[in-house]
Amino acid sequence: MAYQLYRNTTLGNSLQESLDELIQGSLNTYRFCDNVWTFVLNDVEFREVTELIKVDKVKIVACDGKNTGSNTTE
Amino acid sequence: MDQNNSLPPYAQGLASPQGAMTPGIPIFSPMMPYGTGLTPQPIQNTNSLSILEEQQRQQQQQQQQQQQQQQQQQQQQQQQQQQAVAAAAVQQSTSQQTTQGTSGQAPQLFHSQTLTTAPLPGTTPLYPSPMTPMTPITPATPASESSGIVPQLQNIVSTVNLGCKLDLKTIALRARNAEYNPKRFAAVIMRIREPRTTALIFSSGKMVCTGAKSEEQSRLAARKYARVVQKLGFPAKFLDFKIQNMVGSCDVKFPIRLEGLVLTHQQFSSYEPELFPGLIYRMIKPRIVLLIFVSGKVVLTGAKVRAEIYEAFENIYPILKGFRKTT
Repeated sequence: MAYQLYRNTTLGNSLQESLDELIQGSLNTYRFCDNVWTFVLNDVEFREVTELIKVDKVKIVACDGKNTGSNTTE
Repeated sequence: MDQNNSLPPYAQGLASPQGAMTPGIPIFSPMMPYGTGLTPQPIQNTNSLSILEEQQRQQQQQQQQQQQQQQQQQQQQQQQQQQAVAAAAVQQSTSQQTTQGTSGQAPQLFHSQTLTTAPLPGTTPLYPSPMTPMTPITPATPASESSGIVPQLQNIVSTVNLGCKLDLKTIALRARNAEYNPKRFAAVIMRIREPRTTALIFSSGKMVCTGAKSEEQSRLAARKYARVVQKLGFPAKFLDFKIQNMVGSCDVKFPIRLEGLVLTHQQFSSYEPELFPGLIYRMIKPRIVLLIFVSGKVVLTGAKVRAEIYEAFENIYPILKGFRKTT
């Protein structure tokens, strides 16, 4: 299983999902270090049933977890 | 003028009228190349018989020399490629004819005109000699022009040495669009938008750049990555940039009988439709691997330079035309 990611990264060009998000969507930057994902998004709409929140910039920090996962926005 | 009277009686009937260029003595040997026949001029002074005999002996010697040279030429031509051979053959035949002309002058039995045993040097004979094969100047490919299809480059993989050790964690934390998971893979995966590429950056300072569509784009992208690393504080250089692999693809626009192709080219092809729907053709020269599909789409990979992709496609195109599906 460890080779799957290896295959993804060594090919590099085949799955450019992050980059495709960059072009199409509002993903500004991404980072993955120490098993922590950090995303910065621009012009985001948070939609709940009743409410709609529009934001210019969102930073998402996501940790891998079995039971816990933290999500902070600013 | 009593030149005709000077000839021995048995030769008089054969002698050409004064000034004619046709050989007075019939040399209808099939080995004698046309256009290089001896054209003896009317003799001025007569020692008649002996001179005639000498003329005949010289002609025979020259005939033998020409035969030997032509045989050697033929052997060489069979061994060498046609282009080089054609050029050499033309040069050799013209030089051969000039040497014949000069050797014909050696005896100096006739003082009127020089003995021309060949067309003037510099001119090619009207008809090619029957002995030398019709070697064309251009390679004798079947009368097909180029395919008119140019493979498009899809991916270029290149490597470069930044020339200094790198702290991957620092790079992953401070650079944008970077991934670093040392448990899975010991390199930082960084991407840039323009040119759209991905780089693998290793702690040794070596870097792999993938995804560019042209050689220049690959080099430019690698430079951009190097600049990113440099701005993070590392003394990055740009050493030994080298393109390692180029991938191209194109469409021949007709369906292909892969089964037929693998039967006739089995030493180059492998086709296992249950494993992979494409035929894998490993061309020897240039050393390129082609993936050929029933639809007529072709992928070419393994090239170090763009010309290898083009050359490989020009090589395979006539073969594919021969296996066009007619139904």
